[in-house]
Amino acid sequence: MALDQSVSRRRLLQLIGGATVAATAAGTLTACGGGSGSSSSGGTLKVIGAGSQEAGLRKALDDYKKANGGFDFNLSFSPADQLQTALRAQLAAGNAPDLHAVYPGNGSAMSMVQLSKANLLADLSDQSWTQKIPTGFKGAFQQDGKTFIFSPGTSVLGAIYNKKAFATAGVEVPTTWSELLAVCDKLKKKGIVPIALGAQTPWVTQLIDYALVPGTVYAKTPDFDDKMTAGNASFADSGWADAMDKYLELQKKGFFNDNPNGTTYEQATSMVGTGKAAMAVQVSAVLQAFREASPTPDDLGMFPFPATDVAADNWIPGGVVVGIAISAKSKKAEQAKKFIEYCGQPETVNAWAEAVACVPLYSDGDAKVDPVLKPFLPYLKDNKAVPFMDQRWPNAEVQPTHFAVVQELLGGKSTVPAALKKMDEAYRKSA
Amino acid sequence: MTITAQAVRRDAVKAPRRRGAMVAPPWLFAVPALLVYAFVVLYPALSGAGSAFTDWSGVGEQRSFVGVDNFKQLFHDDQALGALRNTLMLTVAIVVVQNGLGLLLALGVHTRIKTRMALRVIFFAPVVVSPVMVSFLWKYVYNPSPDAGLNAVLGAVGLGGLRQDWLGNPSLAIWSVAFTVIWQCAGYSMVIFLAGLEGVPAELLESAMVDGAGTMARFRHITWPLLAPAVTINVMLSTVGGLTLFTQIIAMTNGGPGYATDTLSTVLYKQAFVFGKFGYSTAVALVLAIFVAAVSFIQIGYLRSRETAA
Repeated sequence: MALDQSVSRRRLLQLIGGATVAATAAGTLTACGGGSGSSSSGGTLKVIGAGSQEAGLRKALDDYKKANGGFDFNLSFSPADQLQTALRAQLAAGNAPDLHAVYPGNGSAMSMVQLSKANLLADLSDQSWTQKIPTGFKGAFQQDGKTFIFSPGTSVLGAIYNKKAFATAGVEVPTTWSELLAVCDKLKKKGIVPIALGAQTPWVTQLIDYALVPGTVYAKTPDFDDKMTAGNASFADSGWADAMDKYLELQKKGFFNDNPNGTTYEQATSMVGTGKAAMAVQVSAVLQAFREASPTPDDLGMFPFPATDVAADNWIPGGVVVGIAISAKSKKAEQAKKFIEYCGQPETVNAWAEAVACVPLYSDGDAKVDPVLKPFLPYLKDNKAVPFMDQRWPNAEVQPTHFAVVQELLGGKSTVPAALKKMDEAYRKSA
Repeated sequence: MTITAQAVRRDAVKAPRRRGAMVAPPWLFAVPALLVYAFVVLYPALSGAGSAFTDWSGVGEQRSFVGVDNFKQLFHDDQALGALRNTLMLTVAIVVVQNGLGLLLALGVHTRIKTRMALRVIFFAPVVVSPVMVSFLWKYVYNPSPDAGLNAVLGAVGLGGLRQDWLGNPSLAIWSVAFTVIWQCAGYSMVIFLAGLEGVPAELLESAMVDGAGTMARFRHITWPLLAPAVTINVMLSTVGGLTLFTQIIAMTNGGPGYATDTLSTVLYKQAFVFGKFGYSTAVALVLAIFVAAVSFIQIGYLRSRETAA
């Protein structure tokens, strides 16, 4: 027994020694490989993008690589929830990727304002494309007059609907709130879930409010955000209360699937794709996911989700989509800047925007826009589009609070005034 | 009994000689290990604790000293207090049910039934699966649709009336999560209880049986007192596990619906990485660590005294 033990202990030490040598050797080899690789290719750019932008970003990188021999990249993607955490942890640890996803404007821990205030983003102001950013969108790209992110354009938020399901129930696209309720009623009577809601996935909870407040708040008070900043307005005493009441009205009338709090985004997507549900309130950036979930993708369309009975008051939410920025600490910043300069060319902007079904930031001549988005274009032209609400919120706490209170409302655990009070409290906390 | 006594006497004779012959190992040997420990564990922990007294956002260089403000805020934070309540409810449920079930399973597979080895493997199997995998698996089981997962099973056996929105109902979600944890970890408690049961001398049980003690009496007066060390370990481990529960919650409910399943661990994670309040998050972490340590010390003190009494 004793002999066994000593032998096994010696053997163990040998093994450990062996393992150490092997590990060291492997380390050296990797280092060599990495070194030679980078010297031959001029370095590999590390890129982490947002999942919703994959098609566009990948295309831009591939095209740029084809045109520039020495350029190479290592691209990975993160879904929205993980951008907030995994990528932020890398930023905190000081090993951020060279290029990474950043949300436009303010309002989240991974937003342009919050990160640029912490000096984590490289200044892009000297690039020529930054001159073409439309005035109304400057707040999404710029902080203190400096541009920190690139984004290919704007996505709109409305109802993604299944035309077949609408035809089965014999209903047309609604243009007012009352028409919407009538449509939902007819769909329900046909045994089709009118609106699929996957509220277990936190970010989905906000979308119906976002679709409604442009009509209930901003059409009457276009400077609502400025009033909020100045402390002259609150969520509780605004059209936000109407929006939330309407949200709950849809639930009370049985126009959502059963148990929205237990249903995920993926489940809701497949319900609309397969025609089990007729529509879902969503951003146009996820159209691709709905198309993939549908056996007949051409049956999917989009329309502005009407918030009021006055057609002129039905504004739409349309915001700059998640962009990319260069880490201030990147050692390959020059290379990354050249790539962003390339992204800013109108052709690249157009190609990227088309790949992710968004409206290009600017274009030379007529932009190619996904035909599904056509119903939204007049609103953008008439300045009846409001950026996604969180882009003007002063800290990263309001948005998650909004997620939580909507789940509480859907679960019958809160009231609209109590929910808005919590959001007001979160808003008043310092940045 | 006799054998045990002899063994003890033999040890008593041998021990002093062995101890005298051995030279105490110099502390110097521990230095490399201590250095690594200090570098990997102590330094980050202590430097992190310093952040609890600042308003650091988690990224960038800006931070200023705010004294004990973060701690004051903690005791007025409804979300943190709600999370504390959830954490305690989860811990009590997990400690009681997981260990109760573990003990029953251990007693079951400690008998002479033919399939006992296979059963041991089956009951222990969930323990070796990653908690994230288990959580996603159970998310499927808890699908609220009436024709999927657990609800479909309930419908198939004529219990359709018991169908629930397992993770979406704010009053039910926390218990659904607790059940998943118990399902996964009961096998772990079972193994520890099994080890304890193997240590109960057969002769004691036999002589009790000869004296006419029934199954219950033998369990109560012999097996249970001798299981005291296993109880100590199991209760300690499940308490610490319950108080620091994180993975299953993030993977299954992300603390929702609303705040219904937030625990102290998920709150401190959200404060740091979602709200960008690293300083406050560290304060929550510090309080959690002290709380867990205090509970553990009190528990171990009580359970050890129970072991000696037994």
